[in-house]
Amino acid sequence: MTEVNLFLLVGIISVVSAVMMLLSENAVHSALFLILIMVCIAFLFLMLNAPFLAMVQITVYAGAIMVLFLFVIMLLGAEKLGTRSTRLRWITPVAVFLSILFLITAGVAIGQGQVNLSAAPSAEPILRVAHFAPEVGNVDVYANGELIAASVEYRDSTDFVTLPPGEYNLALFNAGTQDALTASTVTLDSGFTGTAIAYGTDAVPLVVLESEDLSTVPERSGRVTVFNGFSGVPAISLVDFGSDYDLEDTQTIIAEIPQDTLSEPIIVKETTDLRSWALVEAGNVDNVLFRLSDPESYEIERDNSKFLIVSTEPQLDGTLRAQTVALDASTSASFGGPLAMGQALFTRYLLPMQMVALLLLVAMIGAIVLTHKPKEVSSIERRVLGRRKVSRPLTSVLSAQTGHDVYVPDTNGASEEALPEAVGEEEKV
Amino acid sequence: MVGTEAYVVLSMVLFILGAMGVLLRRNAILVFMSVELMLNAANLALVAFARQWGASDGHLFVFFVITVAAAEVAVGLALIVAIFRTKKSIDIDELHQMEG
Repeated sequence: MTEVNLFLLVGIISVVSAVMMLLSENAVHSALFLILIMVCIAFLFLMLNAPFLAMVQITVYAGAIMVLFLFVIMLLGAEKLGTRSTRLRWITPVAVFLSILFLITAGVAIGQGQVNLSAAPSAEPILRVAHFAPEVGNVDVYANGELIAASVEYRDSTDFVTLPPGEYNLALFNAGTQDALTASTVTLDSGFTGTAIAYGTDAVPLVVLESEDLSTVPERSGRVTVFNGFSGVPAISLVDFGSDYDLEDTQTIIAEIPQDTLSEPIIVKETTDLRSWALVEAGNVDNVLFRLSDPESYEIERDNSKFLIVSTEPQLDGTLRAQTVALDASTSASFGGPLAMGQALFTRYLLPMQMVALLLLVAMIGAIVLTHKPKEVSSIERRVLGRRKVSRPLTSVLSAQTGHDVYVPDTNGASEEALPEAVGEEEKV
Repeated sequence: MVGTEAYVVLSMVLFILGAMGVLLRRNAILVFMSVELMLNAANLALVAFARQWGASDGHLFVFFVITVAAAEVAVGLALIVAIFRTKKSIDIDELHQMEG
């Protein structure tokens, strides 16, 4: 309710300012009202979840552009100019009538729901394939007969591949060969982000498709998801043993992840120390399966999603050991923030941005050229100035007065040649 | 949450007021400021639809509009200064002859 009131307040202020801008006689007052409108619009940008644009609006519009306007108004002394009545008197009622007509038309259109307010079309699905089957060598991954990743090593994953939505026959082949290990049909809906995990200790790996949440996380935090592919125990838990591995302050982070299932994603602050975290058998904290002790692999990074895959690795003595690998992925940048804007500007919109930069450069040069005032010198003035500045040689003045040619020996060259010698002699002395 | 329609209506009203300023005022600087108001109204609608669609492309467009508006103002005000120097007036009714 407060947001609606705030919107009404700011909206009314901006509309009243716009009317006042139209009606005020003094151009300086109009400019100040326009600044008020700009600030109101920046406020509305904030309410629309666009903080970066709100700042740009304030600095560029209210700051730079409007100061330029005020500067030019005061430079030209144009506060009161152009306020007399126009010769085209009929234009005022026509403009008002057409404006009201447009408002009614558009208002009716919006009232009838003609504005397209449908949700955005979701993005194409992206998929990566992770290989966690210890009995299988490197694999090639095919989707509908097309190779999407070649020679994926054990405990590794492919990069994310963007595929059109639809059904896919996802097949794993031994690397470089034509013998299919396993094939399964997966359905990729639009907007899906996830991982196809091949795991299991059999010669034929199991393949499951698990979706991963890559949406925006709260600031300075990351997301952790655990997939339990360990077949040694019925269920596992993710626990934090605390600083001194005291059983008393052991905290359960994610409880009871059954076999072959994915945990709920959790949000973790980026400064969290994961060295005291471990995967244990559910209900039996003493049976530690895997410690997340390697800070290189398990450090939480901001705006990053960690997908922990727990897989089974048979030992030589027949026992099963849990093996954990973290797959990293960036979460999408927060909407409307400077990071998201920067990412878009330097990837999809790189060319337009360069063009706009060029445009600004051209505008700068154009403004300088337009306001450049060439020195206004008339042709007569130039002749007079020329006569004053360039003195005629004395010989020509004398010859004009006497009527005879006057010969003066040219001493300039000689003296110039003599000078260095003189200097040289002085130095010798 | 305020609906997108409310923002669209507000931006429409501001746009109309800007258009009326362009039509009715005779001071070239005021006409120019009204054009800026129209650009701002369009920006508001773009940002409102960007939130509606959850796509940041609208924000990028607003960013470009602001940049182009800055360039436009620099050149436009330089033109006004140049015109004022020759005609000693910035009344747009007196500038219709298009002569130096």
